[in-house]
Amino acid sequence: MPRSRKGLALHPTFKNKQVLRLDCRYCGNCVCTRGMRAILLADVGVELYSTDLPPTESVDHVAVMYNTEKCHCTIKDIACLKCGNIVGYSVISPCKLCLQSCNNGHFYMFHSWAVDVSDRFNTLGGLLTQYLLHYLLALNTCKCVAYID
Amino acid sequence: MAANVKLLKYSIHKYSSYSANYVPENILVDNSSDQSSRWSSDTNNPPQFLTLKLERPAIIEAITFGKYEKTHVCNLKKFKVYGGLNDEHMIELVDSGLKNDHVAETFYLKHKIDSNYFPCRYIKIAPIQSWGNSFNFSVWYVALHGTDDPHVVKPCMNWYSTYREREAIRLCLKHFRQHHYTEAYDSLQKKTKVSLEHPVLTELHDHLVLHGDFDSCERLIAQSCEEGLFDNYISQQDYKPKWTAIEPVSKDSTSAMRPGMRGGHQMCIDIHTENIYLYGGWDGNTDLADLWSYHVPTGEWTCIAKNTDEDGGPSARSCHKMCLDHERKRFFILGRYLDPSTRTPDNLKSDFYMYDTESAKWTLITEDTGAMGGPQLIFDHQMVMDVEKQQLFVFGGRVLTCSPEGQRSSADPTFSGLYSYHVPTNTWKKLRDDCPEIRSRIGHSMLFHIRQRALYIFAGQRSKEYLNDFLIYHVDTDEVEVVPTDGSNKEYPQVPAAGFTQRATIDPDLNEIHVLSGLSKDKEKRDNVKNSFWVYNINKNTWSCIYKNENTGEHYWNKMQHLEPVPRFAHQLVYDYIKKVHYLFGGNPGKDSLPKMRLDDFWSLKLCRPSMEHLLRRCRHLVRRHHFEEIAAHSPVAALHYLQADLAETVDHSDPEETKEFQLLASTLFKDRSQELDAFIDPDVNEHFVGRTQLFDTLVNFFPDGMSQPKNNLIDLVTLN
Repeated sequence: MPRSRKGLALHPTFKNKQVLRLDCRYCGNCVCTRGMRAILLADVGVELYSTDLPPTESVDHVAVMYNTEKCHCTIKDIACLKCGNIVGYSVISPCKLCLQSCNNGHFYMFHSWAVDVSDRFNTLGGLLTQYLLHYLLALNTCKCVAYID
Repeated sequence: MAANVKLLKYSIHKYSSYSANYVPENILVDNSSDQSSRWSSDTNNPPQFLTLKLERPAIIEAITFGKYEKTHVCNLKKFKVYGGLNDEHMIELVDSGLKNDHVAETFYLKHKIDSNYFPCRYIKIAPIQSWGNSFNFSVWYVALHGTDDPHVVKPCMNWYSTYREREAIRLCLKHFRQHHYTEAYDSLQKKTKVSLEHPVLTELHDHLVLHGDFDSCERLIAQSCEEGLFDNYISQQDYKPKWTAIEPVSKDSTSAMRPGMRGGHQMCIDIHTENIYLYGGWDGNTDLADLWSYHVPTGEWTCIAKNTDEDGGPSARSCHKMCLDHERKRFFILGRYLDPSTRTPDNLKSDFYMYDTESAKWTLITEDTGAMGGPQLIFDHQMVMDVEKQQLFVFGGRVLTCSPEGQRSSADPTFSGLYSYHVPTNTWKKLRDDCPEIRSRIGHSMLFHIRQRALYIFAGQRSKEYLNDFLIYHVDTDEVEVVPTDGSNKEYPQVPAAGFTQRATIDPDLNEIHVLSGLSKDKEKRDNVKNSFWVYNINKNTWSCIYKNENTGEHYWNKMQHLEPVPRFAHQLVYDYIKKVHYLFGGNPGKDSLPKMRLDDFWSLKLCRPSMEHLLRRCRHLVRRHHFEEIAAHSPVAALHYLQADLAETVDHSDPEETKEFQLLASTLFKDRSQELDAFIDPDVNEHFVGRTQLFDTLVNFFPDGMSQPKNNLIDLVTLN
């Protein structure tokens, strides 16, 4: 299968970010295998985890859309499919402010208090690090995700 | 029984699955602050269940579901509860759903069969749907209420085992008779002395099935009908609403006397004289102060006063309340709505008037009920009269407040509590403030049950919240009772939807509450339900929607304008429970293009059930149709005569369906009958035995359950392994 060797255009800031595995802290269900440590654009004091592909196998949306106090993004909570507890949110429509900032293009976020984090190791190729990094994932993904350069 | 009710101890007997540490045993603990204190299934594929085992058999009256302190997608939107003495054979005890909130909910469980209590040892909770469709089911806490006192339960166990034994014998008897095992039937009946049915029905069986004596059958049915044996069946049939537009009768042709268009008016009926009084309202531009009466027998409107203000009565008003003491022929008026721009501290007084219909005199009881310990000036409240003890009850309504010019009142709206007014002593008493026990509201319904001496309160609105609770206030004991509702969310359409401007009436003889649900005042909610009519059976605690018209569009309602009232709000509905007729007048049709339009149409509504005559004719028809088929099998010519004479007599030729069915019967005369003879025929048994038995089983349905053979069949109990 032909695959673009260039990979997707991931902002340089995020290329060397570690890929993380996220487990629901309540029930241990693995909710994400492509996590990235991130900070909230609207409030840099808030640490969370984001992911590039919608984790539809492990989480689902709950309740209604709402806006946060910090920016104008419209978001919807996501809950772990196994236990139903809220583990994060997804951005339904991002606001101008967030789009203009340096972002990683991820729309699914996990609260740091709702997930347990573990490292993923590099099994993709002989590179300098033992940890799996996001640019390696990007090279190996056919699915197109909108990254902003 | 109620005195012995306590929390029953149980253990987990079986379960379908669980995930992580959400083990079934967690439901024994009520800890709403801990998200992990619950059972959660491992999948949402049915069947999922939890079976609980009680320490010993008990009469279980209710089940309480505790919840998490926040909403949760795993809450059960739909569930069923089953119960039984063993975990293989259980019957359904409730079919309901939980709200997705933090409030624990209690549901009454079926615990009686034919007014006898039956014991359960096992309870099975079967989740059907969670609030988040893709999520697993969780139950946080379960409490079972009932009694397991052996002194109470033992007799029920005995009754239950006798009941089961007797029903088993009756099923055998029915089976034997249906299959013509005459000897087995006779010896079983002789040995057990259990009777299959009431002697009248056995007689009917003899005439019909054994002897084919159809005339005697008809006579027996007619006699049963006369003796009222079909009353029970008729009472279980749904009502059909019959609207009639009442056109005004004018004394002289020049000016038809009738009240003009309005909404927010008041109406009350004197059930003894059949006079309907109508007062005030808003015509789209201005408040009204005219008083009218309508005399039902003569069909005439009389304008008692064009402006009551001039006669010492109340000033023009709308959104007030009026109620009538039909013994003393006088009515009371309280409350009104005032536009915020016209409010002054001076006019925000709650004046209270009485009108004596016999002397035609107004009395201003007080200029301000608020100063007498009664309610402040309110609107959209409810007021009812306890004629026997001459007291009024006033509940809810929004208190009118006056805020200084140009300054919007930031305070939350104030709702008025529950008050009583004793007429002979002229005293107001506050029974309840606005409190969680009886949450105050506007636009609700409140009805006084004269025999139970209780107020029935339901529906209404509180700011943006539409209430769907159902409360009973016992006026003599000052007690509030909460009627459990069947998880009245949208999934359960057996309860009138909240948020519609319902008008309700009560029939103390039939123990029914009638609710006409109109148009929502909220424009955004208007496309859902339109006219619908609901009947609440007080004894059975059941709602049934007897009619719904969801048609929208001006064209449709223009066409219908003489057949059925257009959906509306701010209308009035009164009920004559002696003659069993409702009357509806006016209201706001909620037309976007004509916001000032109000209605002046006047309707009567009768709720009809099939009559005894109708049912009797139906039975005769069934008998004769079968008789016709028997004749047709031998002599088509004789059958044709029978069809034209005897059978035609029992057909309602105005009913298109019946007429068509009747016309098709003639074609059976020319059917090829050779194939039918293939069926096995027992030489001992009449060739018509099977057909007659089927007819008998149909006719038996019209008789009360307690008289007739069991509804089930023995062979249906055989399972294929």
